[in-house]
Amino acid sequence: MTAALGRFLILASVFVSAAGSIVAFAAGKKHSPEGLMFARRFAYAFAALMVVATGVMEYALLRHDFSVGYVAHVGSREVPTWVTIVSLWSSLEGSILFWGLVLGLYIAGATWLTRNQYVDYMPFAIGTWLACATFFSYLIAAPANPFLTVPAQPDGPGPNPLLQNHLLMIIHPPFLYLGYVGMTIPFGLACAALMRGRLGHAFLRPLRASLLLPWIFLTIAIMLGGWWAYEVLGWGGYWAWDPVENASLLPWLTATAALHSAIVMERRGVLKGWTVTLVQGSFLLTILGTFMTRSGVFNSVHSFTQSSIGPTILVFLTATLLFSVVLLALRINTLEAEGKLESPVSREGMFLVNNLLFVLLTFTVLIGTVFPLAVEAFKGRQMSVGRPYFDSMVVPVGTALLFLIGVGPALPWGRVTRKQAIRSLLMPLASGTVVALIGYIAGARNPWTILTLLFGGYAAWVTVVEMSRGGTRVLRRGRRRFGGYVVHAGAVIVLVSIAVSSTMRTSTEVRLTRGQAAKIGPYTVTFLAAEERTEPHRQSTVARFAVTSNGKPVTTLEPRMNFYPTMREPIGTPDVHSTITRDLYLSIMNIDPNSQTVSVMMLITPMVSWIWIAVFLMGVGGLIALIPARSVVILSEAKDLRMPSSLATGDPSLRSG
Amino acid sequence: MNRTVLVVGVAITLALFAILFVGLGRDPAAIRSPLVGKPAPPFALKAVGTGQTIDLASLRGKPAIINFWATWCVPCYQEHPVLVENARMLPGVQFVGVVFNDTEDKINAFLRERGSSYPTLLDEQGKTAIAYGVGGVPETYFLNRDGVIVAKFAGPMSTEILQSNLAKAMQ
Repeated sequence: MTAALGRFLILASVFVSAAGSIVAFAAGKKHSPEGLMFARRFAYAFAALMVVATGVMEYALLRHDFSVGYVAHVGSREVPTWVTIVSLWSSLEGSILFWGLVLGLYIAGATWLTRNQYVDYMPFAIGTWLACATFFSYLIAAPANPFLTVPAQPDGPGPNPLLQNHLLMIIHPPFLYLGYVGMTIPFGLACAALMRGRLGHAFLRPLRASLLLPWIFLTIAIMLGGWWAYEVLGWGGYWAWDPVENASLLPWLTATAALHSAIVMERRGVLKGWTVTLVQGSFLLTILGTFMTRSGVFNSVHSFTQSSIGPTILVFLTATLLFSVVLLALRINTLEAEGKLESPVSREGMFLVNNLLFVLLTFTVLIGTVFPLAVEAFKGRQMSVGRPYFDSMVVPVGTALLFLIGVGPALPWGRVTRKQAIRSLLMPLASGTVVALIGYIAGARNPWTILTLLFGGYAAWVTVVEMSRGGTRVLRRGRRRFGGYVVHAGAVIVLVSIAVSSTMRTSTEVRLTRGQAAKIGPYTVTFLAAEERTEPHRQSTVARFAVTSNGKPVTTLEPRMNFYPTMREPIGTPDVHSTITRDLYLSIMNIDPNSQTVSVMMLITPMVSWIWIAVFLMGVGGLIALIPARSVVILSEAKDLRMPSSLATGDPSLRSG
Repeated sequence: MNRTVLVVGVAITLALFAILFVGLGRDPAAIRSPLVGKPAPPFALKAVGTGQTIDLASLRGKPAIINFWATWCVPCYQEHPVLVENARMLPGVQFVGVVFNDTEDKINAFLRERGSSYPTLLDEQGKTAIAYGVGGVPETYFLNRDGVIVAKFAGPMSTEILQSNLAKAMQ
């Protein structure tokens, strides 16, 4: 019964989204306000159907209704209620349903927020959104249907143990979906601008905001994924250039580039076609990422197991890619530049370099991820490019971007005299040198780390100076600009922390029997005991360690090995003592409770906590920039063909760079 | 109509489609090896630390496990203790590690920290890895007493996986 209701709701959503999309495009073509009104209703109806369908699935999960295919696949009476609730996104079919829910909410939200505005563009935007929605509801209805009726069983296996292993897994997937799925909204708006053959100044606002929101979620999601890997996987790192990690990074890179090029577009009226391309690229890369995670083509700790939806997603990816290419080719020339770039040594010049670097980074990561597949496709040989490729390519580009975070905002807009340039560029050098010196004294010897510290100190100075410009008025009038610099501050800290934590860590692996101690850095780690613990959904062997420093107790750490009934291999969970300067990380390699011996990997990694804090700061900065400033006047479409001169040259407090 | 955008865009689309389409047909965990059932390719490499040259011929007479790895490979960290423990437990089996795309300093540091119970050879130019058709690290080849490859495993091994593959080499 529940399964049948679910299937009905999904079929209805296929119909509603398809019909809504056709109505919307027709309304756009005929400039029909009634058609647009109907299209909006279809958008709301799609969202409502998705909310109810997800509700039905959660109901089935909580009731342990094992006649529903997905519940039989991931449900279990043994697991805690919170695990049952989040089981929705623990496996392929449920996660696609969750995708549909998020998409529905985004489409409804965007439709509602633009209800009285941008009437020229909105039919095409809603049409594009609902076309994407049609694809995803088809995916839920046919190849990945979670509502199949199966013979009821008394109990199920429970979700993937990795999901049950850490609380971060509850929040990481929703953030990732909010980031990934949210890219559909700016994609629809960009397509609408192309179909209309116009991208006015006023339309930049929804385009930028709709890109910024998923960007914030994606930023946090990438960090949570890294944090999860660090806390759960037990090898002491947070990033391994795994194909699925790369999949989440790719759209983030292009979206970041687009957020920057949109600023140049707003101030100089140039780079319109380029910005639209980046926005489309961000969406297409989320679909590529979805393919990578769900097709079973890539081997990864994060991916879903082999499934049959790969071909369907590949068809959708190819179709949207071709659609975007043809649309761009047909209309890119209609998005005329309204101004020109004056000088390469200026802020807009730096924006251009920034964009080129982000695109270079995107291609580097994309090629590194797809290249092994290409080699196999054409030569029949399997290979992997591995970490050395990514590190050797990404570190220099990342360092150059950090350099730009400092130099870009230090330069004024427009034409710059040599004296101006030298004066604004030299001042922050003192701060950079001091930071690099501090790092050297603290033991940094890797040249890239020292360079990162130099540029980091430089950028930090510039960022703080720019943030404080305009005093308290900034929060009222220059909120976007201020938010942007908060993001920059976070990015500086993240890049420096990554450089320091990856080059300055110490590790050792020791074998201890009960009562024995080992030293690492300032800590003495004593193995107290190994004990077995039983929980309803798993059995664990826990090693207890007392950590002291200079004879004073610091903490007790309990890394463990978890055994799940459905897994042949145990899953280790490390334990971490985090401080503001460094983390002590213990991960069990081998444990024997009978003889009370343990092999443990001990790591001291500096500045890891700063990465989590600073990425969070980036998210906060994004939110500050997202809140609309009260002083911004919504310009009508009639006036927005040319940029108002007050914005291009006027009051510095209105600056948005 | 902007022809450049069209041509470049369509080219990227087709290339990506072709690669991903071919990729769909494969199982990323299964790595076929034409070498299974054939004599192992010969090699003579210097051992890290001792500098002694070890060649394939010296492994004959005992079942052998040749494990390709590198210090930059994350799953190799996971696998290393399994190999070290098993090598200690199974004196009748010849374990050999072959490291490629790496430096001797890093390997020495790795082994100092994580322990070692069998010879580790440095494949400086990666020729041995190429001869064995190594697709990625870690990858392990199981040889019987006569030096014939009887099994291959790609990815980090657990004791269970190691021993089930080794059983084929013991027959």
